[in-house]
Amino acid sequence: MLDLQGYGPRLFEGALVTVELAALSLGLAIILGLITATAKMSRSWLLRRVAGVYTTLIRGVPDLVLMMLLFYGGQIGVNAISDVLLYDYDIDIYISFNAFAAGVLTIGFIFGAYMGETFRGAFMAVDAGQIEAGKAYGMGSALLFRRVRFPQMMRHALPGLSNNWMVLLKTTALVSVIGLTDMVRVAAEASRATHEPFVFLIPVAVAYLLIASVTEWIFARLQKRYDIGFGEH
Amino acid sequence: MATTPTPLEVRNIKKRFGDTEVLKGLSLEAHKGDVITLIGASGSGKSTFLRCMNLLEQPDEGELIVHGDPIRFKQTRQGREPADKKQVVAMRAKLSMVFQSFNLWAHMTLLENIIEAPVHVLGQSKKEATEHAYALLERVGLTARAKAHPAQMSGGQQQRGAIARALAMDPDVMLFDEPTSALDPELVGDVLKVMRDLAKEGRTMIVVTHEMNFARDVSSQVIYLQEGLIEESGTPAEVLDNPRSPRLKQFLTPNH
Amino acid sequence: MFDLSTWYHELLDDNAIFTPATMAHYWEGLVTTTQLVFLSLVVGLVLAVPLAILRSSKRKWISLPIYAYTYVFRGTPLLIQLYIIYYGVVFFDGIQESFLWPVFRDAFYPALIAFTLNTAAYTTEIFRGAIKATAKGEIEAARAYGMSESLMMRRIVIPSAFRRALPAYGNEVIFMLHASAIASVVTLMDLTGAARYVYSRFYTPFEPFLFVALIYLCLTFAILFFFRFLEKRLLAHLSSPSL
Repeated sequence: MLDLQGYGPRLFEGALVTVELAALSLGLAIILGLITATAKMSRSWLLRRVAGVYTTLIRGVPDLVLMMLLFYGGQIGVNAISDVLLYDYDIDIYISFNAFAAGVLTIGFIFGAYMGETFRGAFMAVDAGQIEAGKAYGMGSALLFRRVRFPQMMRHALPGLSNNWMVLLKTTALVSVIGLTDMVRVAAEASRATHEPFVFLIPVAVAYLLIASVTEWIFARLQKRYDIGFGEH
Repeated sequence: MATTPTPLEVRNIKKRFGDTEVLKGLSLEAHKGDVITLIGASGSGKSTFLRCMNLLEQPDEGELIVHGDPIRFKQTRQGREPADKKQVVAMRAKLSMVFQSFNLWAHMTLLENIIEAPVHVLGQSKKEATEHAYALLERVGLTARAKAHPAQMSGGQQQRGAIARALAMDPDVMLFDEPTSALDPELVGDVLKVMRDLAKEGRTMIVVTHEMNFARDVSSQVIYLQEGLIEESGTPAEVLDNPRSPRLKQFLTPNH
Repeated sequence: MFDLSTWYHELLDDNAIFTPATMAHYWEGLVTTTQLVFLSLVVGLVLAVPLAILRSSKRKWISLPIYAYTYVFRGTPLLIQLYIIYYGVVFFDGIQESFLWPVFRDAFYPALIAFTLNTAAYTTEIFRGAIKATAKGEIEAARAYGMSESLMMRRIVIPSAFRRALPAYGNEVIFMLHASAIASVVTLMDLTGAARYVYSRFYTPFEPFLFVALIYLCLTFAILFFFRFLEKRLLAHLSSPSL
């Protein structure tokens, strides 16, 4: 039997951090991705430009560097804000820099750029006649998005979405480097303390594979649902 | 007695795509119960004209008056646009369009297609809309296909379903954009029969079509378009049986 | 009057971040990053080609173990792989007494091994996809001309698969460059490591991380243009004839 030498509960907590972090980051990335895709398809030159710069910069720089920049930079930014509040406005509130929230924001921000590309392609793949029919029946742009464009786009977006999710899940491991106690950090600490790296690192690797398999199954189910009405492909 | 305002009035519509002017000033009036057919060679602008009527295309010039209420426009850098999106949405809800390629929403069943706009645009209850939908499905002979998705239906069934979707809006004017052009010849008859019934019961319809027999039998007015202009307009007897312009004569000659 | 040279000197005097000393760190970092990425990509590529051919085999007992390898290495974070190799290397019997120990005690080689195994796994799958996508007609033609399986593989399938794999492989190269940033986690002074060092010395995150971000961005664009150029040269026969 696997002897985790008392690290079991902490590893489990770390695994929960990993899952929560990944799930919340995914949610944020999807929202940012939808906004980015909309901006990229908008008629406004400025919006297209801003979205273009965002995706290019994010995809040209390593996740870890972006993470450190946003993380350490964010920390300083928060300190600066509380300093200004204290000295200029005499408001003494302690704004805590929440590492978990910073992790979610950073990963969500990074993957929002990738999602933007995925969604843009998917929106473009929706048949124009389907959208015209919505307009012709008096749908405003919000209703049209909710009832026609989004559900029809999803079947084109899901393969890319699933792919991005798998990369995102693995990227969460990087937060261990900047101080969040996810399962990788617990395992690395335990390895150093006990000099038995395999005992801790291999189960964590298996946990990643497990999470990936379960979510892959969920994505396959979703794909089936959004493929309804379109025949086999 | 006050006269009821005309359901749809279109004045002097002009439209250009790049350097080509495809509509050069077209007008029509659809009174209650009118069946107006637009005929003409491909490229004559008849589909574009129809699509300008519910603003799927933006006309560069001209007026649209729905029930005496003119659509307001504003000038932007991209060209002329409707000033009030809500007004456009409300206008479209009164005009239902039937498309050449059906455009039933692929991710919904036929029934869901029919109740979609009544529930979400008109705000009907789901129950009320569903009851109405079943009545309409029976009319077009598709009760058995209510739960089918468009991809599982033949083209003729899809188009009859699309007509049921249009009727569910209880529209003031129905716009038909070449409704039988994408169908196999043996499926055209069923669709035309449904449309003839609609004409008979006094629906106001504007139909772009190549079906001359249909135009002759049901139209109150036939309009022949040629290069973005109305070349001839009148009753079927005037336009189809006694064409004056040589180009219309040539157009009406079989196998032209 | 505004004196440009005084202004310039004042700026430099105030600047503790971009000094010759820190620039030397960045330079060292750039060299380490380039070495790591280049070596792991080359060795990974050499490993991936035979692995992809074996992975395409119809015999399950050949293809399955390779699939297991690519599945594990593509399904888990590179950081875990790096930790396992970095912390685990001491457990190979006798390694501490062998002549190899000085080599493995340095974090560079564990990192190189982890990166190589990782990129080899991704590249294997990229090539396998490309081999699988070989047009049936080309294979039939080769058979019809009496080519043996191995000759066909060498002369027809592999060359065309290489070309088809090029865009995906270009992405893998960029991915590897970005992934290499985690080398700094095991104390290596790569580009990111240099930025972390400067950050820890001066506690100013923006200058060092923005500076290396810019360097990574330039490297990314260089790789991008290189592969675009390669594609143009090698895939010219696949594009529609230009006038």
